[in-house]
Amino acid sequence: MARMTNLYDVSKCTACRGCQVACKDWNQLPAVIEPFTGNYQTHESTNGDTYTIIKFMEHEDPVDGIQWNFLKFNCMHCFDPACMDVCPQEAITQTEWGAVIKDYDKCIGCQYCTYACPFEIPKYRKREDIVTKCTLCYERVEEGLEPACARTCPTGALTFGERDQLLQVAEERVKFLRANGFPRATIYGKLELGGLNKLFVLTDTPDKFELPIDPKVPGQITFWQDWIQPYFGWLIPVALAGSAVSFVTTRILANKNGDHTEGGHE
Amino acid sequence: MQWIPEYKGDVPRVERFNFLSRFTHWGHTVTFLLCLFTGLALFLDSADWLAAIFGGFHGAGLVHRIAAVAMTIVVAIFVVGNFKVLIAWIKDILRFGLNDIIFIMKFPFEFLGFKVKIPPQTKFNGGEKGNSMLTPTAVIFLILSGYIMWFPAIFPAGLVRLAYPIHDISMVLATFMVCMHGYLGSFHPGSGESFWGMWKGTVREDWAEHHHKTWYDETYGDKASGE
Repeated sequence: MARMTNLYDVSKCTACRGCQVACKDWNQLPAVIEPFTGNYQTHESTNGDTYTIIKFMEHEDPVDGIQWNFLKFNCMHCFDPACMDVCPQEAITQTEWGAVIKDYDKCIGCQYCTYACPFEIPKYRKREDIVTKCTLCYERVEEGLEPACARTCPTGALTFGERDQLLQVAEERVKFLRANGFPRATIYGKLELGGLNKLFVLTDTPDKFELPIDPKVPGQITFWQDWIQPYFGWLIPVALAGSAVSFVTTRILANKNGDHTEGGHE
Repeated sequence: MQWIPEYKGDVPRVERFNFLSRFTHWGHTVTFLLCLFTGLALFLDSADWLAAIFGGFHGAGLVHRIAAVAMTIVVAIFVVGNFKVLIAWIKDILRFGLNDIIFIMKFPFEFLGFKVKIPPQTKFNGGEKGNSMLTPTAVIFLILSGYIMWFPAIFPAGLVRLAYPIHDISMVLATFMVCMHGYLGSFHPGSGESFWGMWKGTVREDWAEHHHKTWYDETYGDKASGE
């Protein structure tokens, strides 16, 4: 099955947050009310009951003046998900069309995935002691529907379909934007982290949308997951085996020497 | 076959560890092992059978946290309540010298049961000094990294990520030392009285003189300051 993905075109987004509401509605997530922090953004980031948010960002451009950017922010459904690698319960899996999904019955709330994620998107839901994130509405998609967010988008900023086709659409859109007043327009998600199953058309460089320009799985995580965890534990069986060998040889040697007094030191 | 030497109450005995040292030692043993087995359920890539003992992974996680807090309290009790002993212990570790090096060089032979001549040792021999340095260091790292992983929201993300490898490395090193320590402090024939030193608090006087001559002379023998 071909990869199915969401294409999010920033240049068409009006930040109406219909996707945020549709996501809450479909996933039956309670409202999370956070205090006002000075802009229109509803939540600081994704949280245990909020899988997707619209980020609002302002910055001052020396040429173009004040810029106000929106970004729909949620799980990127990486081709090679770090969260899936670190999960000790193998609760995270990937569907054949590219959605990275979690089995909440297996999740134990250890939050390794939160900190392995280059975007820190999975979040802890305290009341159930699990970590949650966007599922790309895999249960809808597998029934032939679109994700809730894509279905509800009134401006066509969110479209759902086969990734290869959407990539062509995105490339043409970027060409158009570059020729029409957005010279720094770019695609995000095509090559980042080896490919994301989530495509963005940005009107400016990714850092203007609080996205890492070159996202990487944190070094501490790869070091721990690829080296410490698989290759370091053998020291424990060595200690146990050494003790067992010593237990036998000390007693054999003591019998051989006919020596019943305690020798040596502890 | 004899597992550990018989306890002899009718021979002269000298104190090796006071009550608080023994209480915190065994308190630490219980809490450390609880943390170890509940933690291994995750480290061994989801050992369901191990988690099942504690009622599943959520149960194992709960026991891990309760035991971790208890372990922190035990360590705190030792540090606060037994401060003088702690200082004496550290001072003894700092006396690491030639005799300790000779001990460590010859120890592998003794470990397997060969007879070796070992120079006089202080309260803690060369191997025990090594254990006294490594295990508490690893435990301190375990405790610190553990609380960071428990409450990740209040720490910087980079520190939380660093806590995972630190927790794992410290766990493996501490468990390695605990396996060796557990064996050498009990079933290894050479250890003799040392088990009773930590269980009942006293060791046979002749054993103390033979195994820890420097300590014995300074504390109970000719060189004792006469307290």
